[in-house]
Amino acid sequence: MRVLLIEDDPMIGQAVQDALRDASYAADWVKDGLSALSATATQHYDLVLLDLGLPGKDGVDVLRSIRGHNNAVPLLVITARDGVEARIQGLDGGADDYVLKPFAMSELLARMRAVLRRKSGAAQPVLSSGVLTLDPATKEAAAEGQPPLQLSNREFALLQALMVRPGSILSRVELEDRVYGWGEEVESNAVEYLIHALRKKLGSTSIKNVRGVGWMVSKSS
Amino acid sequence: MDGLKEQLTHSIRFRLSLWLSLAILVVSVVAGVFSFARAYDEAHETQDDVLRQVASLLRHQRTVLLDTAGTADADPESRLFVQYLSEAQPNIKSANALPLPSSLPDGLHNVVLSRGSYRVLAVSLPEGVRIAVAQETAVRDELAQDSAMRTVVPLLVLVPILLLVVADIVRKLLRPVARLAAEVEGRGDGQLHALPEQGLPTEIRPFVMAINRMLGRVSEVLEGQRRFIADAAHELRSPMTALSLQAERLEGTELSSEARVRLGSLRRGIDRGRALLEQMLAYARVQSVETVSSARCEVRLVVRRVLEDLMPLAEEKNIDIGIEGEQDAVVAISDPDLGTVLKNLIENAIRYTPASGRVDIAVQRAGATATLVVADSGPGVAPGERDHVLQAFYRTLGSDQMGSGLGLAIVKAILDRNGAQLRLDYADDKKESGLRATVSIPLAASPA
Repeated sequence: MRVLLIEDDPMIGQAVQDALRDASYAADWVKDGLSALSATATQHYDLVLLDLGLPGKDGVDVLRSIRGHNNAVPLLVITARDGVEARIQGLDGGADDYVLKPFAMSELLARMRAVLRRKSGAAQPVLSSGVLTLDPATKEAAAEGQPPLQLSNREFALLQALMVRPGSILSRVELEDRVYGWGEEVESNAVEYLIHALRKKLGSTSIKNVRGVGWMVSKSS
Repeated sequence: MDGLKEQLTHSIRFRLSLWLSLAILVVSVVAGVFSFARAYDEAHETQDDVLRQVASLLRHQRTVLLDTAGTADADPESRLFVQYLSEAQPNIKSANALPLPSSLPDGLHNVVLSRGSYRVLAVSLPEGVRIAVAQETAVRDELAQDSAMRTVVPLLVLVPILLLVVADIVRKLLRPVARLAAEVEGRGDGQLHALPEQGLPTEIRPFVMAINRMLGRVSEVLEGQRRFIADAAHELRSPMTALSLQAERLEGTELSSEARVRLGSLRRGIDRGRALLEQMLAYARVQSVETVSSARCEVRLVVRRVLEDLMPLAEEKNIDIGIEGEQDAVVAISDPDLGTVLKNLIENAIRYTPASGRVDIAVQRAGATATLVVADSGPGVAPGERDHVLQAFYRTLGSDQMGSGLGLAIVKAILDRNGAQLRLDYADDKKESGLRATVSIPLAASPA
């Protein structure tokens, strides 16, 4: 995979380029907007990492120019500006995602994988929270270091809802909405019953209750 | 008393009303006195004329003098005495006849008799007969007073009305000033747009224009500050990012176990610097960014989002964290603002609560405000310290926590500009432990 990194800060650029190479990407690094445009015009890239705060030609202009040339290359914006405006500007300009400085390399790599996956159209990836994995194709879930176990349809629906975004807390009503279709009668304690069953299969700490709010699957490992 | 003195010396409206009223009173008193005196004299002259006319009537038309004064139904005010003034022509015997001296020369006289004083006109008729036409002085004075009073009464009635009108006009003329004051008073910290200059008196407009120029300069300074914060964010984050990326890469290389331990401390130090940087930027931002007056957000949604961010921290310390009760509220504060407030309060609660402790969050509604309570089972804050912990970079003694020292200052700044309050108590009053932070925020007006 060939990646173009557009970053004016030498320290960050060097660190990211090295880390990309460690992660088996072929990484080219340019430091300003004009060289970025000539690079994208002459070379095919699988992914572009663009810092918005560039000297000379602004990052947003670079982004527009790339998209203006009908180049649909997956593009991730890196920005140090906070303020929702800057981010919206990036996403409206045609970026696929953004990462806010300061970021951890692991986060950047994860976002890159997600963008590549979305762009390649790979449907229903295996969901992972670091501790649990869930395969939507087979409806099998596995705790770390354990063999996968088959889930029932409702158990799967509930766990999938929690694992789409690990760390997010879903209320009882939201979980019931995901598990039961329209017109289906919701049994009382159904959510507790399903969670009890899932904990039995995947370990008692696999799904955590947040008192008064709902349930979650932890993000960390 | 002080209030009255203050008004006397400083209120233009009060002073204007006072001096105008005094001027009106003085002028009307002087005018009243003059017109009273004039009318009084006029009335007397008119009455003297009446005496003369009666006399000349008698001169041309000799009639028998009747006792005009004697008739009972005569109005005492119109009573005139007409009688002979010589011994040769004795008066008709009457108790009412005046004992006038016969030596009275022709002309008008004031004669004092035992029955009272009279105004007498003595006239010599062609036949050598002398007659006197007289009128009681008391009656004359009364008549004169009546007629003089009639000229003053309108003045007496009109002066109070005039005073009220003056007070009202002064109030109305100064209303633009009062309106301006109310407008300025009602503004939030960041609302620095110009004051309206239309419809103002010419005397006040230069003043308002000067204020507007100053507002313009202040908002330029603030804008510069805002830009500086945005630039500083960029300039500071980049080296921080470079540093943490390098440390992260170092972790992936072959290291001795000792080096790995040191790398761990290094990364914690970098994380701390990063957190401090973010808090400082947040603090600078809340002090310079304008508030959105129409902001509203649902408390429970924000609490949940904040908890999602903080659960890893709580799990690390095995802290039981949750919301008590089922209530929710829509409050008048922007979503990011409330998020920052709750994040700082809950993060503090988790940080200062010992492992396996408990943090309770509650939402309540009372009248037009919502109260958000974050209570922890940590050591709490002593009453004497409570004001200090709200100041930036203040640290409680003996605290081994590596916070930024800005969390509560940020909370306070955000709540202040949103018209909300923060109160700190012990969560457990008897044991004097645990911190309970209570935030009172106005409820959002329901959308029309």
